[in-house]
Amino acid sequence: MAPLETPLPRSRGMSVASVFERYGLIVFLLALLLVAAALSPTFLQPANLVNVLTIAAPLGMVVVGQTFVILVRGLDLSVASLMATVAVLATAFKATTNDAIPLIFVAAIAFSAVVGLVNGWLVAKRNVSPFLATLAMMIILQGVRFAYTGGAPISTLPPGMGFLASGRILGIPVNLITLALLAIVFGVVLHRSRLGREIFMVGSNPKAAFLNGVAPDRVIIFCYVICSVCAGIGGLFLLGYVGTVSNWVGQGYELDSIVAAVMGGVALTGGRGNIFAALVGVAVLVVINNLVLLLGFPIEMQLIIKGIIIIGAAAFYRTRLA
Amino acid sequence: MSAVVAEFRRNRLSLSYVIVVALLILLVVAGGFLSDRFLTWRNFGNLFQQLVVLGMVSLGQTFVVLLGGIDLAVGSLVSASTVFIAHFLEWRPDLLWLALPLALIAATAIGALNGLLTIVLRVHPLIVTLGMSSIIFGGTLMYNKEPGGSVPRGLADFSYAKLWGIPVTAIVLVAVFALAGLWLQRSRSGRSIYFVGGDREAARLNGLPVNRIVVMAYALSGLCAGLAAIFLTARTGVGDPRIGAALTLQSITPVVVGGTILAGGRGGVLGTLLGVLLVTMLNNLLNFLNVSSYYQWVIQGLIIIIAVSIHTTRRRQ
Repeated sequence: MAPLETPLPRSRGMSVASVFERYGLIVFLLALLLVAAALSPTFLQPANLVNVLTIAAPLGMVVVGQTFVILVRGLDLSVASLMATVAVLATAFKATTNDAIPLIFVAAIAFSAVVGLVNGWLVAKRNVSPFLATLAMMIILQGVRFAYTGGAPISTLPPGMGFLASGRILGIPVNLITLALLAIVFGVVLHRSRLGREIFMVGSNPKAAFLNGVAPDRVIIFCYVICSVCAGIGGLFLLGYVGTVSNWVGQGYELDSIVAAVMGGVALTGGRGNIFAALVGVAVLVVINNLVLLLGFPIEMQLIIKGIIIIGAAAFYRTRLA
Repeated sequence: MSAVVAEFRRNRLSLSYVIVVALLILLVVAGGFLSDRFLTWRNFGNLFQQLVVLGMVSLGQTFVVLLGGIDLAVGSLVSASTVFIAHFLEWRPDLLWLALPLALIAATAIGALNGLLTIVLRVHPLIVTLGMSSIIFGGTLMYNKEPGGSVPRGLADFSYAKLWGIPVTAIVLVAVFALAGLWLQRSRSGRSIYFVGGDREAARLNGLPVNRIVVMAYALSGLCAGLAAIFLTARTGVGDPRIGAALTLQSITPVVVGGTILAGGRGGVLGTLLGVLLVTMLNNLLNFLNVSSYYQWVIQGLIIIIAVSIHTTRRRQ
């Protein structure tokens, strides 16, 4: 049984603690920005900020999906592997004109949805722990991908894919606009819809949700599908950025997305979190990485700082033992 | 016969073992038919040498998983330990007697720190060990990015030494597993790991020193990672900051295949040993059959899903 003090699902109205949680992170981000600005005059220039955000956008897309899964007490380790597999899938059309882009998107989203369906089915219907189900999916996708490519990178891509990744409309990166749309759509689903309330209910207390007429299995599977679809889209946007498709596109995103979500206050124990706060978590993570480089530290320092921050952030939000 | 079945039902653990043993026998028989090099003394010697490192890390992982936790820092810890051992021995090859215990103590201390942090900060072990893994890996890379160091002849010989045709390292591994199994089953402190893993609150109310047991399990995982690093350094002769990276996730497969459930409280080291055997033998056979490592990944993923599905389905009945 969940302890009595488990907070009720809240889509509106916040307690004092939650205000502190939410704005604490923003204050931290602002402090980081100030430090960065003080240390490097180039940091706060629009060009650099836009660059940082362009790099952050695909990760943000993954985090939007990861938030859904963590809210129902899960996590998805297969997102990075899926990103790379979708990238390979995109090259499989061997398309050289932009006509193929819609087809690539449809195929990528359909493929991702199937992957999410399998993940969700394993977790909800087969009682496989999310960690193991998505770990297995990660390894399987990796094997399928390498078997298809033979381990070699490919680069047959429609030229328009590059525009998606690093192009701009009115000076704003296309992938940032896409991230904003994705976050708004899924943010409304999560924080303003009936389905969203059901997700919070299942996450905080599956039994109570069931007694209230919610089918936890269906909700959980839905969350995994959303997560995979977001990762698939993120993969396509990252792909164009890199240009050639290596078999490791998105490597590390599975852990970074979990780190960002946790920093953004999404509780690994489920039922607590906010998509937009999770995106602030992404911003913090990306700014820290950028800051390490600006300060002239060796890049390995990022790993150490990231490690300290992930533990510290989790301690801050008191993610209790499940 | 029905009495036997009933006995197995009561003790679900042994049924897990039966399934894995049946799969192992199937694999050996199939391997004998499919490849004339598989069922040879020489191949099995190699096989046992290969599985020592994975076996040791998986053993450590078993303690933590039994407790209901997980240790994602083992890979980085193995890498860091190999770097420490190889560089220390390059500096003073004569201080082998000091280098190895130092490495083990350091690895155990880092493991204990993992456990301590989960308690003090009340943070999920997944997050704590992930963060620690990142810190350890970063620290190791800052010290040295490339494989380096060297080991004295004696340590290298140890890795290839044989006793009655059996690799000494494999004998050590089996001995450590036997010791661990006895400790878990027979001793008070060992059994308390199951108790804490099964229901932490109940264990606390029964007066068990829960916090100390948690720290102990993580410390043991660190110790096992340190031991694995010794085997690994002896075999490769260098300290490589990336050599253990894949071990973290690899170490979980044998544990769950062997019937230890991630929720904690049930399973055992015998299952893990069988799981290590199964995974290593399967990869070995697939290599002989010229199946690409890509498909081996697919198969490994399927094994995890199938094994866990079987174990959890039986649990629900």
